[in-house]
Amino acid sequence: MSEQTLERNIFAEMGNRYERVIKAGQEGTPVVWHPFNVAGEIFHALDLVPVSVEVFTTYAMNQLPEGIHPYLDLAVERGLPESMCSAQRGTIGMYEAGFLPKPDLIVSTLGGCDPNSKAYEYMSEKYEVPILYLDVPFHSDRRAIGYFEKRFKDLVTALEEMSGRKLKEDRLREVCELANKATELILDINELKKKVPNPVPNIYNLMSIATKSAQQGTQEAVDFYQNMLNLSKLRLAQGIHVKPEEKIRLMFMYTGFYFDPSYYGWFEEEMGVTYLSDLLVFHDCNPFIDLTSVDTMLAGLGEEMFNMPMTRQRKGSWDLDKNWLYDVLYYADTYQVDAMVFSGHAACKQAWGAYRLVAEEARKQLGVPSLRLEGDCWDSRVTPMEVIKGQLAEFFETVMESKN
Amino acid sequence: MGPLEELSEIAGGLENEYTARWKEQGKKVVGYACTYLPEEILYAVDLLPYRLSGRGAQDTSNADAWLSRVNCSFCRYCLELGLTGEYNFLDGAVFTNGCDHIRRTYDNWSEHEQALPFMYILPIPHVLDEDGYRWYKEEVMTFRDSLENHFGVKVMPGKLAAANSVYNQTRRLLRQLYNLQAGQAPPFTGAEMLAVLTAGSRIPKDEYNRLLESLIEEAETRPGIEGRTRLMIAGSFMDDPEFIKNLEGQSAVVVTDTLCMGARSCWDLTKETGDPLEALIRRYYHHASCPRMAGEYKNRLAFVQEQIKLAKVEGVILEHIMFCDLHGTDNALLKGDLEKTGLPVITLERQYGPLADSGRIRTRIQAFLERIGG
Repeated sequence: MSEQTLERNIFAEMGNRYERVIKAGQEGTPVVWHPFNVAGEIFHALDLVPVSVEVFTTYAMNQLPEGIHPYLDLAVERGLPESMCSAQRGTIGMYEAGFLPKPDLIVSTLGGCDPNSKAYEYMSEKYEVPILYLDVPFHSDRRAIGYFEKRFKDLVTALEEMSGRKLKEDRLREVCELANKATELILDINELKKKVPNPVPNIYNLMSIATKSAQQGTQEAVDFYQNMLNLSKLRLAQGIHVKPEEKIRLMFMYTGFYFDPSYYGWFEEEMGVTYLSDLLVFHDCNPFIDLTSVDTMLAGLGEEMFNMPMTRQRKGSWDLDKNWLYDVLYYADTYQVDAMVFSGHAACKQAWGAYRLVAEEARKQLGVPSLRLEGDCWDSRVTPMEVIKGQLAEFFETVMESKN
Repeated sequence: MGPLEELSEIAGGLENEYTARWKEQGKKVVGYACTYLPEEILYAVDLLPYRLSGRGAQDTSNADAWLSRVNCSFCRYCLELGLTGEYNFLDGAVFTNGCDHIRRTYDNWSEHEQALPFMYILPIPHVLDEDGYRWYKEEVMTFRDSLENHFGVKVMPGKLAAANSVYNQTRRLLRQLYNLQAGQAPPFTGAEMLAVLTAGSRIPKDEYNRLLESLIEEAETRPGIEGRTRLMIAGSFMDDPEFIKNLEGQSAVVVTDTLCMGARSCWDLTKETGDPLEALIRRYYHHASCPRMAGEYKNRLAFVQEQIKLAKVEGVILEHIMFCDLHGTDNALLKGDLEKTGLPVITLERQYGPLADSGRIRTRIQAFLERIGG
């Protein structure tokens, strides 16, 4: 399967997902809205219909003829502050426009990002939808993991009560087995990314965010990662990589830009830049789930969720163990990164507040330079892609000069 | 100098005669940044809790090199004072993860050469339940231990019980003031009240209590303010009386608030029986909540409505500092819910710091007052 076919399939999933949400409402299957840093396996195991809100905004942005702008604006017109994150604003606007049915339940995480968690509280209060919160502690030590795992298990109990669905061990194991298969494939793909030049196509990163967030624990996710692994291996065998040669191995220090997937191709075809990943995609720390019992499986899902992007790097101070600096240094070193970019997504106040600390430390410890951009990852009007490309091109020239 | 004048003077500058006297006695002063920090623990070991402010800085040029334009201006002004050494009279600063902005203020200040000898961040859960309480209690106890180790002190139960009592007395006196403000002819303007509240966060509470008692006596001799539209203000952190003065003009008076420096800080008392540390931690965990606490919106709405009713409010100002998503979003919900009751509401997005946009705000408030009929 070619990368173009894979890309088409991924975006076609938008239509499938929308139909599933509508059908779920008609059939009485509860629909759950949740952020991307929730381990969606639990919803699949309970046979609920999950909507990963940020992924849904991304799908819609790339598939709707009118784009996402009218919905971003409508959410603000109806009260949500403009400084809130466009990743949720898009779906909120689609709901306000009557494009989406009312969800039955919302699940939210707390502690990683104020705009993210506040957006879910806003939806719950304004639309009168029951909500379950999962509090993420500040630290990453054993005590913190214990606190989080207990909360996750309590959340599952509450999900069962509120949805009227009982968690069945066999079904949970089936989902967790699929999740483990997908994790294995993700790690295999990451191993290929370590090669110089990297054979994994740049567009994989966008597709992987969507798949991991919305479909982990399903056969569709396994199929996607298997196809991508096969394609990458084929590219490796055939010597296919960024053109004409891999000049720069690039990492985005947090989010990438999602409003214009063409830039992955631009990096690949015109710049000779490998887009290794942004921090939302790597998942090297994703655990394998112990399938022994319900308890071990829930503990595994809890651990997975504790290590989800944003939760992992945003819950405490920048230089704590397994936090932002830790991950930036690990990934930059492990994947032989030449340069880093901070996209400067306007709503990421916590990222903006620690960017310079992390960037300076990465330069000091690894000698890796970084570029700070200003933009909005889902709203092309804040900084248009042509402007972003211009700034990146200048940065690449500087990086190449210092490399040579 | 009368008590109001004295309190206003204290509110007007960073250091004051009380902090100077405290330091002359060889005692330490510790800054703090959030109402989820149980200050009584500091007070019980002769560490003066001093609420951090951004007032006094003329710009944020140093802070902006570390924080950014999308970080709230209150935090940037605070950091500016920290990075330029204006807070060097403090012996330490304690932060919480109250919001994304303030925790990054801590991150940047604590890494800077102007970091104070004791820099600490107290992690607080984002939900109110028994698991969260246990977590918070453990964190407060770890904080207490760090404080004891750093400053070579010991928090004794008797001293803590006494501190709890002094702080409760402050809250009772402030409630008396709020009750006076809720009367037909409030003795003070909202700007004066904010100066009184701000001063209280910068001096020892026993001294503050004496000043409050005198102020309440003085209040009874004042003619009272009548014929003005009665407003409430709610939203982001505020310690600038000039901002309120600008809102009030000649035709309005802010009679109550739900600010963290104001009513939210004094409405709940600490139980004075049993283990004083346990009582203190319960009080702080469960006090009238900040919008950072998830799932508490309806309680916050009820608290706002309680203040509206008590103070016979005619219009509500919901303000938030630009990029303060917690208050901005709560304000959007509050506006909808309060307007359903027929109460006029205005939302204001503002910047913290010197009154750069005072004209714009004044114009909007005048239009709002006309809408109310004031």
